[in-house]
Amino acid sequence: MEWDFSPVIGSLDILLFGLLNTLKVTGLALLLGVPLGLGLALMRLSQNRPVSMISAFIIEFFRTTPPLVQLFWFFFAFPILFNINMTPYTAAVVTFSIQSSAFFAEIFRSGIQSIDHGQWEGSKAIGMSRNQSLRRIILPQAVKRMIPAFMERSIELLKTTTLVSTIAYTDLMYQANSIAQSTFRPLEVYSVVAVIYFVLIFTFSQLSIMIEHRLAKSGEGTVN
Amino acid sequence: MDHNWDFATIFTNWRVYWVGLQATLLMFGVTVALGMLGGLFIGILRYMKHPAAAWPSRAFVEVFRNTPVLVQIIWFYYAFPILTGIETSPFLAAVLGISLNTMAFSAEIYRAGIQSIDKGQWEAGKAIGMSFAQTMRRIILPVALKTVLPALTNRGIEVFKMSTLASVVAYTETLSQAKLIAELNYNPIESYTAVALIFFVVLYPVVQGTYALERVLNRSDR
Repeated sequence: MEWDFSPVIGSLDILLFGLLNTLKVTGLALLLGVPLGLGLALMRLSQNRPVSMISAFIIEFFRTTPPLVQLFWFFFAFPILFNINMTPYTAAVVTFSIQSSAFFAEIFRSGIQSIDHGQWEGSKAIGMSRNQSLRRIILPQAVKRMIPAFMERSIELLKTTTLVSTIAYTDLMYQANSIAQSTFRPLEVYSVVAVIYFVLIFTFSQLSIMIEHRLAKSGEGTVN
Repeated sequence: MDHNWDFATIFTNWRVYWVGLQATLLMFGVTVALGMLGGLFIGILRYMKHPAAAWPSRAFVEVFRNTPVLVQIIWFYYAFPILTGIETSPFLAAVLGISLNTMAFSAEIYRAGIQSIDKGQWEAGKAIGMSFAQTMRRIILPVALKTVLPALTNRGIEVFKMSTLASVVAYTETLSQAKLIAELNYNPIESYTAVALIFFVVLYPVVQGTYALERVLNRSDR
């Protein structure tokens, strides 16, 4: 067994292109998934029973079904059902935005619920509406407690985006598959790609641990 | 939405799904058992101060937690045989990827559980002449395992969902069976909706169970 990295080094630009696409899908899914998650969390906490139940159902459904099944559904079933065109890229962004929003919703909910009830009463006492208290008093405190859980979820999302390679979106994993096939060097290609993912995700994990320590030092509580 | 839903083909093909579900359950059983038992062992090593135990276990955990599980499965399927000369079947490659990943995640859960136990418990064990292993087995673990039970159940739910990734290396679990039916009958809508429902029906009661479990454990702590 001889290692030969030259085919991988020759295709570094292809891998880099894939890496950028991986980051693009992750970033967009975060950008859409976080506000969607906040919306779902507020619906779930609503006093209106049907609203709360619908949101609970959506959250539980997307948390209990495998992301790969969701991706296949949005790529193969959804376009026929609604008679629209779906590129692998759109299917990926839609799936991962909704999938991660279900998880973000639960983070938002536990963050909001962790805030002492007196804060609600206090803001009510000075004449704030429910929306105002939420925006000015509750959320700013809750969000700070959510940061570690939020970062952990984002890292999970980054790892989950590898699934888009199965519907032929040119992310890092897909590029690896095609280089491995064309060069007959799967060992080197997949090992290098594993290292690239490791460096990327490990850096983010360390960063999130650092932030968590910072928050702990400032005496701030966190939620899971 | 003028689609004519046709779930009849799903029901006439129930055997195909059943074969897939059995394979999913087998994959889940093997990976969850290996992952959680191996994870306990690595979690204890992670807790120990000795560098010969701490460093390799730390490296293992970091590598398998910080790479995507799909990359691990594909690596074991395509790269591992070239490196070692050992052929990996789709089943074996998926089992290796998913259980090693689960070991790394559950090791951290066990470690956090062990660390949450008061130092006084260790000292008490030592005072009545127990060794490290005895204290761990008889005093620390019984309490620690109870505290980590909700986190472990959540991990188990993740492992169950992860089994679908085995379809990527052509292991015939539920999702790949559904794909087969979708391609044969041209009914991706019903076929993939059915898989989603199967997973939802299996996991929803489990998720509700974990909520109840957490409530019970919280109450017994007071």
